[in-house]
Amino acid sequence: MPKPVIMPKLGFTQDSSEIVRWLKQAGEAVEQGDPIVEVTTDKVNMEVEAPSTGILDGIRYEAGAIVPVTEVIAFIRAPDEPPLTAPSASSTDSSAFSPTGAVSEARATPIAAKLAQEKGIDLNLVHGTGPGGRITKSDVQAFGATEAPTTLNKVRAVPAARRLARELGIDLATVQGSGPRGRVQSADVRTAEARQAKLSPSTITPSNVLKTIPLTGMRLTIATRMQKSAQEAPHITFDADVDVTAAQDLRSRINALLNPDQPRVSLTAVIVKACAWALQRHPLVNSRLQGQEILLLKDVNIGVAVALEEGLIVPVIKAADQKGLTKIAVDIAQAAERARQGRLQMDDLTGGTFTVSNLGMFGVDRFTAIINPPETAIIAIGQVTNRLVPDAQGQPIVRPMLTATLSADHRVVDGAEAARFLSDVRRALEHPELFLM
Amino acid sequence: MREITYVEAVREALNQAMTADERVFLIGEDIGIYGGAFGATAGLIERFGEQRVIDTPISEAGIAGACIGAALTGMRPVGEIQFMDFVTLSMEQLVLQAAKIRFMFGGKASVPMVLRMPGGSGTGAAAQHSESLENWFVHVPGLKVVMPSTPYDAKGLLLASIQDNNPVIFIEHKLLYKTKGPVPEEMYTVPLEQSAVVREGRELTIIATSVMVNRSLEAAKQLSEQGIEAEVIDPRTLKPLDAEPIISSVKKTGRALVVHEAPKTGGFGGEIVSVIVESQAFDYLEAPVRRLGGLDIPIPYNRNLEYHTVPQPETIAAEAIKLVRGEY
Amino acid sequence: MENKEKSELADTSLAAELQPHPSTLSLKISEEEAREMLERMILIRAFEEKAEELYALGRVHGTMHLSIGQEATAVGASKAMRRGDYLLNHHRGHGHCLAWFDSDVNAMMAEFMGKETGYCRGRGGSMHIANIEANNLGANGIVAGGVPIAVGVGLSIKMRKTDQVCLVIFGDGAANEGAFHESLNMASIWKLPVIYLCENNQYAMSMPFHKAFNIADISQRASAYGIPGVTVDGNDVIAVYEAVSAARARARAGDGPSLVESVTYRWRGHSKSDKQAYRTRAEVKEWQQRDPIQRFAAMLGLSDAEWEAIQQRASAQIEQAVQFAESSPEPDLGTILEGVYA
Repeated sequence: MPKPVIMPKLGFTQDSSEIVRWLKQAGEAVEQGDPIVEVTTDKVNMEVEAPSTGILDGIRYEAGAIVPVTEVIAFIRAPDEPPLTAPSASSTDSSAFSPTGAVSEARATPIAAKLAQEKGIDLNLVHGTGPGGRITKSDVQAFGATEAPTTLNKVRAVPAARRLARELGIDLATVQGSGPRGRVQSADVRTAEARQAKLSPSTITPSNVLKTIPLTGMRLTIATRMQKSAQEAPHITFDADVDVTAAQDLRSRINALLNPDQPRVSLTAVIVKACAWALQRHPLVNSRLQGQEILLLKDVNIGVAVALEEGLIVPVIKAADQKGLTKIAVDIAQAAERARQGRLQMDDLTGGTFTVSNLGMFGVDRFTAIINPPETAIIAIGQVTNRLVPDAQGQPIVRPMLTATLSADHRVVDGAEAARFLSDVRRALEHPELFLM
Repeated sequence: MREITYVEAVREALNQAMTADERVFLIGEDIGIYGGAFGATAGLIERFGEQRVIDTPISEAGIAGACIGAALTGMRPVGEIQFMDFVTLSMEQLVLQAAKIRFMFGGKASVPMVLRMPGGSGTGAAAQHSESLENWFVHVPGLKVVMPSTPYDAKGLLLASIQDNNPVIFIEHKLLYKTKGPVPEEMYTVPLEQSAVVREGRELTIIATSVMVNRSLEAAKQLSEQGIEAEVIDPRTLKPLDAEPIISSVKKTGRALVVHEAPKTGGFGGEIVSVIVESQAFDYLEAPVRRLGGLDIPIPYNRNLEYHTVPQPETIAAEAIKLVRGEY
Repeated sequence: MENKEKSELADTSLAAELQPHPSTLSLKISEEEAREMLERMILIRAFEEKAEELYALGRVHGTMHLSIGQEATAVGASKAMRRGDYLLNHHRGHGHCLAWFDSDVNAMMAEFMGKETGYCRGRGGSMHIANIEANNLGANGIVAGGVPIAVGVGLSIKMRKTDQVCLVIFGDGAANEGAFHESLNMASIWKLPVIYLCENNQYAMSMPFHKAFNIADISQRASAYGIPGVTVDGNDVIAVYEAVSAARARARAGDGPSLVESVTYRWRGHSKSDKQAYRTRAEVKEWQQRDPIQRFAAMLGLSDAEWEAIQQRASAQIEQAVQFAESSPEPDLGTILEGVYA
């Protein structure tokens, strides 16, 4: 009896994964535990292992397919069992009905197929709970019920608003409703129209487009999360110009004591340590807003933004407050390496309580970062430059300085507290002995 | 212009109609010397004699039948049913004969009669003397249903109803009989099938019938103090309904509230809401169309219970505020 | 009998058409008039039988209430009335409609078939046949439905001070409706010129007379209203004629309404869906021996040849009516909303 290979669920909120590539081909022998297919979710690539030893067969989805979790994607059969014909013939499915059109890959009961067709549901996306993973009518119904509304008609809007939106050519889905229960009233449509008029988008003619990049995968994830963060968290920002003389000096002295194979302590590592120290003193910044509650978190897990070609990824340095500079340096180096190789695990990316984003290497003096949800704050680090500053006697001297910009969620943190926190970060950077005490 | 009461207006209409057209006669219980239970026919028997102001035994089916037979054979009777509640005893004659004769006979006959009756609650007359059954008649093809709310409309609509060649159910309201208003002395008609915008407004449209028109105007005063200007429309003729002013108004205001005394469930309000929602006004709605009607109970005897059984100015105002402030 | 021409009622002024006061008129009927009455009864019988046949063949739909066996009441009563008088009758009224002035068999048959050329433009059907022009104010589908209307007609006659009389025909069942009592009472107190003719065919659908009444004769109820009541043999066309004539004379003299009970029998079931489980075949047969038509024909001393001739004429008229009806147009769907309001 062929054993199904299912698309595993890799995270709490994950409901589908994309097949990156098959590592084994249909008909190939595999051992239990062999990685047979590579999948990706959000930005993490995972390998799915063979659940048993045998012949990989009955592959249902090719590279690029997005498959719901727990869906059967292939089978492992015994060598003496008859080959399975793709896409879906298993010995338990004697009455498989192949619906017409794009859904011919899926196995479904005739009633389920008909219902899916009526509702315009792609059977490929439906999880089957029937025998052998067959899609039943209730599976289709359940899928239909959970499918998020995507058409205009599912927007809650009064008739007057709909008419106005029609007349003005405004997509109701983009209008914020002020009526009861968030219903869109016609006044809301007029507001949206006025706002649109201000933005006055220029029309793009096709000949003006150099390249079209679909908003998918990592890009889409970043876009969605950043938009959510920007919309939901009221950001307050604070700048601090930091004299990094002491920090640079500490670095060079530590690096001088390291073995050649040990990774150097970067300025970023020192900044991480300084932030970890400050976070301990300001628990409100090391927090998370959950519903109607602010959770002050025990661990100080600092994410360090790493720039990849596809986008920014933020591996997390766990318990940064308890690690020494060299350990932090090692962690940062390893995380960055894994990130570049696309080998980051789920665990690497979750659990952060604060983020440090250092884009100084790109030559910017200062910038404002968007908070990484569900964290409460993020610090943006600009490049180190030599600046003229007054000394104790008021005489101009040259010092290496950088600008740190803190963005904090005003729902959780007030200005004073945020300012105090940033002030502590500066103090720690300018007096690193602080985090040795 | 001189002001007279609603009941005086009714009496004047009857008087003038009978003077102008000898085919018009009155028939009903206690309408002669007694002058009618609510005084609508007081003095008329003295003027026109008992041949034209006919007292009947307590025989509502007979009264209705008499109107039908007379109307079929060249007369223009105006019957009176003492309380709308008692019209239930005439239902067969009204629904199966009066309403249908013309149609059943291929349009070759007509029944030009009027049946007047006072309906409504508020006098402590309790369950069997306080009915509002207008919707029953609206539901019968072949009848016309009229509900005047002012003395001016009462006289004009009654004269128009008497001139109409169809069976007209003319529903007065007991509480309106003593209300006063300007009424021209000469004969004039208010057309059937014509709604009246009795108050102009902006924020919402209230469509009300009979005594609820008065209460809605009361409510409108209260609303005005809160910056809400209600437009009030009185259909006056429920069947056939002049829907156009209602539709235009709702297009303007985007919010509609229907108010009637009869129990909400199955009441005429449902018809108005449907007319609005099925019309072009739908695309201009900012909120669901709402109804206020009587509770689904017989009219209680206790005064306070009776008061709270049907819409009152304060409940109308409260509902209007909720509608305008976006609670629906 | 030659086809009645409707132009017989050319002059619409009622006053000119009325006969001299009936109380001075001998109730004796001439030979010729008697034959006309017999022909009329035979025509009614032929019409009813044809209607029955057409229904069985599916060419007429709905239902029908046949008055076969009751022809004497219909013809005798109508004979007593004058052109201009009003008629209100009931669901078993084909005979009454045919017996009335200026009746048109074609229009009746066309109405049965729901045609535009029917008396009611196909909108009424069997139970609602009316010929307003001839003051036939219609059959009625509601038992006792027309009885209160008769009060209004009577009032109207008095108010307009004409010499008309209203004949309202109803059955034994109607005499138990509340409206019957209201109507008789009102007519009695106002002395209205109304003849209340109760066609007692002894069954109100399945309810036999003796179970529905605690009295021997419906005419007894007249005394409850202080008006004269009489019971006659409804299958004796002359007896009916005399009783209704007397009632009409009373009405015309200003003495008010009368109640005439005409005892007869219906040969067929109540309607087309009546299995007649409530009476015996023997009973039916017994009454069929007392066929009012045979009786009258015998009384007139009709020869076989004359009998045949009348039958032929009747059949021919009926056949012609059927052809007329079947070739008549259906009502135009576009006119469906017509006739509700005046």
